[in-house]
This record gives sequence, C-alpha cells and structure tokens, in this order.
Amino acid sequence: MFTYYISLSLKNISRQKSLSLLISSTLGLGIAACMITYSLIHLMSKDPLPNKSDRVFHVQLDNWNRNAAAITPDLPPEEVTWRDAMNIVQAKQAKYQAAQAITWGMVTPSDKNVPPFLGIIRATQGEFFPMFEVPFLYGQGWQNYPANEVDYIVVLSKSTNQQVFGGINSVGQTLPMLGKLFTVVGVLDEWHPSPKYFDMSFGAFYPPEDVYVPLQIKAELELPHGGNTNCWETDLGDNYQAFLNSECVNFNLWIELASPQNKQQFEDFLQGYVAQQKTLGRYPKAINNILLNINQWLAYKEVVSSDMYVFFYLALLFLLVCLFNAASLMSTKFTAKNNEIALRRALGANQQAIFNQCLMETVILGCSGALIGLVLCLFGLEGIKTLYPNFSTFVTLDMPLMFITLALSVLCSVFAGLIPSIKVCTLAPAGYLK
Amino acid sequence: MSLPFARIAFRPIFSALLRQKYAMTMLVLQIALTLAVISNGLFIVTQRFDVLQRTSGIDEAHTFVLTSSGFTENFNSQTSMQTDLAELRKMPTIVNAVATYSFPFSGSSDWDELQRVAGSNQNTVPAASYKLDEHGLNALGLTLIAGDNFSPSEVLWQTESNRTFPSVVIITSSVATDLFNTLDWSSVVGKTIYINEAHSAVIKGIVKQLQAPWDPVGQIENSIIYPRVITRNSARYLIRAKPKMLQSTIAEVEHYLGMSNQQRMIRKVQSIATLKKQVYGPDIAAITILLVVITALSIIAAMGIAGMASFNVLKRHKQIGIRRALGANKTDILQHFFAENILQTTCGVFIGCLLAVGLNVFLVAQYSLPKLPLGYILLGVICLYLLGILATLKPALKAMNISPAEATRSQ
Repeated sequence: MFTYYISLSLKNISRQKSLSLLISSTLGLGIAACMITYSLIHLMSKDPLPNKSDRVFHVQLDNWNRNAAAITPDLPPEEVTWRDAMNIVQAKQAKYQAAQAITWGMVTPSDKNVPPFLGIIRATQGEFFPMFEVPFLYGQGWQNYPANEVDYIVVLSKSTNQQVFGGINSVGQTLPMLGKLFTVVGVLDEWHPSPKYFDMSFGAFYPPEDVYVPLQIKAELELPHGGNTNCWETDLGDNYQAFLNSECVNFNLWIELASPQNKQQFEDFLQGYVAQQKTLGRYPKAINNILLNINQWLAYKEVVSSDMYVFFYLALLFLLVCLFNAASLMSTKFTAKNNEIALRRALGANQQAIFNQCLMETVILGCSGALIGLVLCLFGLEGIKTLYPNFSTFVTLDMPLMFITLALSVLCSVFAGLIPSIKVCTLAPAGYLK
Repeated sequence: MSLPFARIAFRPIFSALLRQKYAMTMLVLQIALTLAVISNGLFIVTQRFDVLQRTSGIDEAHTFVLTSSGFTENFNSQTSMQTDLAELRKMPTIVNAVATYSFPFSGSSDWDELQRVAGSNQNTVPAASYKLDEHGLNALGLTLIAGDNFSPSEVLWQTESNRTFPSVVIITSSVATDLFNTLDWSSVVGKTIYINEAHSAVIKGIVKQLQAPWDPVGQIENSIIYPRVITRNSARYLIRAKPKMLQSTIAEVEHYLGMSNQQRMIRKVQSIATLKKQVYGPDIAAITILLVVITALSIIAAMGIAGMASFNVLKRHKQIGIRRALGANKTDILQHFFAENILQTTCGVFIGCLLAVGLNVFLVAQYSLPKLPLGYILLGVICLYLLGILATLKPALKAMNISPAEATRSQ
C-alpha cells in the first residue's frame, strides 16, 4: 500500500509539475532563510571546547578604584594585572593556569629570501596549550616558567612555519626575532578557534596569532601592550616595570580545574588571595571576583550579536509566510484533483486511504523543498561569508544542520498540507461524479 | 453621473470571499506577516543607513594610512618619522601628512575623562584621545571653528613611557558643549580643563567635528587632541592627497618610503574608504540581508495574491460570462477583482499593523531596538496595497476579456 501511495503521489506531482515546483520552491525559500540565520547563531554559539568547557574558567578580579567601575555598571575588568597574573599562576591552585596577552614585534628570519615581517605575538604561559587543546603538528609547548626565569623559545603557527621555514619540521631551528635569537620548540597545526574565546579584545572572530612566546619574554623585552589595556592610577611612573607593578590590567587569566566540583574551592582561594592583597593596600573596592566557564563567558561577552537574533526572528516570520503560501497552493493542488478523488472514493477507497495518500504527497513535496532549501542555503552561506569575512573560517553547513533542514521542511510541508488534505478526504463524492 | 466605484457590488464580493474561507485566511495572514516584517525591516535598514551616512569630520575620500615598521637594532624611530613626514609634506600631490596611531575608523584609542572642575565627585565627560602635531588638523581635514591650531613649539615628541603632559589641547564642539553647556565657542577657548583627575590643560582651539576612532561608550562625537607625537618603531602615517590624486599618491608614497629607508618595511596601506567599509561591515551586512528578506517576502506575497486571483478567475469563468451577458461592462469586472483584492489587503493590513507593533515591542524588549515610528507601518501599508494591485493586474485583465458568450457554454 505504501509503495502504491508513493507511486500515485509521484504521478500526481509529475502531472502538476509547475504547481508542485512552486510549492517546493516556496517551502525551500522559507526553510533556507530560516536555516541560514539559525546556522549563524548555532555556529557562533557552538561550544569551542566541548569535553571540558564546564571546567575551564576565566578569572576576573576587581582591583579598580574605590569610586569607579572598570566596566559599567560595577563589573570587574575582564583582564588582570601582571602581579595578579603572576601570583595566581605561581600558586598552582588549579590543574592548569595560564595568563596571556597579545603583543607584536619584528620577526627577521635569517634566510634572506624571507622578508622580515611584523609578527602578531601571543605571550602566554605554557599551560595555555594543554588547557585549550591547541593542536601541534611538530614539537610541543613549554611548562609554565617561574616568575623570573625564561628561555628564548617560540611556537609558530602553521602558516608562519610555512612562511619562514617552508613548512618543514622546524623544531630545534633558530629564529631571530625581537632582536634576539629564539629556538623553535613547536609548530601548531591548523587552529581557528571561533569564537576566539580566550581573548576577544580584537573581536570574537579575530584570527589567532602567528607566534607564541613565554609570557615573561614580554616583560624581559618590554614588548608593547596589545589588546585591552586599562589603568585607573594616574601617576604611573615612566618605565616599563612601573606598568608591570601598577594596577593596569592587560592579561587574560584562564584556569582549568580537574573537575567542575572544585570551583568552590578555587573561588575560596581567590577570595583569600584578594583578602591578602587588601592587607597590602591593594583592592580598594569590595571583593568582586567573577569565575565564568567558557560557555558562561561567551554568554557574558554576548558573542552572538543581537543582529543575528533579529535576523532569525524575521526569517521565522518569513518561513511562516512561505508556509501560508504553500498551504493555499496545496489547497489549489488538491482541489484540482477533486474529481479523481471522488472517483477513488466511489470505487471503495476510504477517507483514511485518501488522507494517507495526500500526506504522502506533502512529505514528498517537503523532501524536494528541503533539497531546494539546502541548495539555497549553500548559496546563502557563501553570501554570508562575503558579508562577514571574519566568519569564513567556521561557516559551513554541518550534518546536524542538514538534518534539521530536512526535518523542518517535511514538517512544514505536512503542516501546510494538513487542512487541505482533511478537506479533500471529507468531501462528499457524489457532487463530483456527475 | 455616478462615482467611479458606485457600481461595485460589495455584498457579492463578500459572500464570494466567505465561500473560500481557508484560502482567504491564508492570504490575509500572509499579507499581515509581510506587513510586520517589511515595516520593521525597513526601519532597521534606514537606521543602519543613517549610521553609514554620518560623517566623521575628516576628509575621508582623499585620505589613506600606512604603517612603517623599523626592524633593525639601530633604527631610530624619531628621526625616521621626522624625515618621512618632512619628505611627504614636500610631495606635490600631498596636502599634508601626520603621524598618528588613531584616526576615525582605526578602531583603537585611549578614552580620557574630562572635567571642568577637578574632583572625583564632579561631572566627567568621556573623550577619545588623539595625539597629533601642528599639521594634524590640516592632514585630517578638520575645520577649526574657534581658537588656534597648535604651534610647533607646543608639540611634544615622546616615547611611549614618557608621560610629560602637554599644556594645551584642542577639543571637538561636542565636547565643548558637554563640558561648558554653551554654543558660544570662543567663550570656551582659553578655559582650563582637567584630564583623568591628574592633569590640567588649556583649551587652545575647537574643531567642528572629529569622530572617535571607536565608540565603546556611545559618545562618538567626543574627541580631544593633544599636541604630542609618540615615537615607536612601528609608526602610522595618515596622508591626505589632493583631490583625484589618491590612487597615484598611494603608489608613489609606498614606492618612495620603501626605497628611502631600508631598515623598515611599509605595510597596511589602506584608504580611509576601505577602512570605513570594514568598520561598517556588520551594518552593510545587515542592510543587505534585510533587503534580500524584504524583497523575497514581497515576491512571495505577490505570488500568493496573484495565484489566488488567477484561481478565482479560472473558477468563475462562467459566472463572469453571465455577468457580462447581463450587462456588466469590462470595467465592472476589472473593478470587481480589484475591489476584492483591496478588501483582502485591508483585512491583512489591519492584522498586520497589530503584528508589526507586536514584533517591534518584542524586539525593543529583547534586543533594545528603538521604537518603530508609525510612519514605517504606513509605508508598509502603502507598499502592500501597491503590491496587491500589481499582482491582481494580470488575472483581472484576463477576467475582463472573458467573452459574454461564455455564459452559454456549459462547464
């Protein structure tokens, strides 16, 4: 019976080609609009570190001036000071801890055929790499260095290794940069964390850096302060060390706990740390520490802009219009078949059979609508990539999205065809048989 | 003599529409939703368009920037910057050039807190800080509306960590208004202001407009200019070319700077227009996406209206023939279909207004969008009536031309 419904539906569809195509396209258009906007939200809010996002935390401490707020209304700054970064990392209260900041400097390869370039540098402690599961192609990162000790070592991104060393395994090679000689200890594989949750100071979808060096190199070579730098003290003094000793915040501090249950313990530690700093005359404000795991942090930073949600809701309404449009087209389509259906009823088909057959037809129309929708989606997402160049690394139609598209399309089609199907199968056949 | 629509029989139209409740409901709902989306969408589009249209105060069309990064041990950033700027200012195609890390659309700068009276309990006005030498105003193309430009002796050449503070500043008219609550610019010149509760400076001049490089606080018109040049190994020059000379000047400057000093490299050569496009990328994207949605929606709605009208013409072939045979002229038939359409649109628009307001209330509450002015709903209503009439045109013309002889044919 099932195959009979299918063959009959296909016959009906092929006899009303243009009308069927119109229904499918209308559905497809609505589905595509919805899926393009939904996929943006879905991809932008995707968990960047699914297996441990609930135990990797971003640390915020309120070291601001008594009567001022680092961030209105009264939130702590999003970065920490050099002193706090050093103290908390040295305390080793978590499984991994790393403070990091963005900086830049000239990279001057010894190979004269490779022109020097300004390298965008992430100065970070070594536990950054295992904590964020940074993929390595060759070599590895480094252990966290003690406060006043550091080696001139460097980890290159895949593209930088390509540019400087032609893509070979460059571990052990030396690279002159920042006026010093650095030894390459590792090369990263392709890595495009989107959103770039560990430091969003240049935007949530900014490409990762070219070069990674130990954090203490920044102090040792007095590298510039990239990213967000905020100060509230007014008389800082003139030298670099004064900045490091000041209340200026510039460092993103992240920790990984062995399990989410240890959060309370770490919060207690932070509480104790700030209380101890208060006795040293720092932290004039009331204690206000914020510890957010990755997903909470993404929500806090509103990574998915409200534009995206507005587009999504408008697209949903658009789909509704397409749905109503398809519904009236289906009504037309089934009404045109009234005579035939009346004949089938007269020959013994019951209402259930007619209804099933109509339902089958809507499902087939839904499937072809999904197909059209998917094609439109692909074009639409290409369009999105041109409109938002930053998104191009992560905007793709993944498997779950394709399944949602198919399911949504069939659902919409059945929904649009439901009332016309009921109408057509409750028809009194006599009137049409004359 | 009768009115043009006097011959329209509304009662039969009503009863005809009521006979197809389902199709009618679907169509009315389509029109209603279309109105809601179009009015809200157009409103957002115009808002974004206004953002794109606003001026930054600088000569956007003829200005470009580039970065000069020195990379050798003995590279002297200050002499390099001074030589470069002197040479650039001599070039015949260049109006003026200045070294600055911030400019409108550059995306980063410090924000300072300004006060008329010092003290933590006093009113503060935030302003983005620019550091320019005496050529800055001319290079950016700013209009001085009161006071004077900096004199060369006032300009401090400093390294990053040197915090000697200049004694004079230039502010924008917007800052002047915020600080002194006056529109009499000359009265503000010569007054002392306090910066970040630590420094004081005398206002030397006021420029008409200079937008902040970025706007984290919603005060994009607030900027303050200090007579300072910060020397770094990586310097950024902003260069204003003479009209119609931008492209050739860019090439010329890039070549000259690249050759003149081999201890540095020239990178990030970008025109202000390009940077503006990047900064306003999300707004341009929003406008594009919304226009695509609005257009597609209008087409879908028009197709729905046209489809229903054609279907009706087809179904009522015989009846139309009878009406024609009984004395109705072509205009009557045409009017019948248009009247039917207007009736449908009116129903849809009525519900649509409520939906449009409802959608806006939701967007206001959830995403703090501004309130929808009623004008946009009115605009949407007019669009939908036009759309409906256009969509009905073809089927109605077809109906008009049905011959009265159809009445005699059996269906």
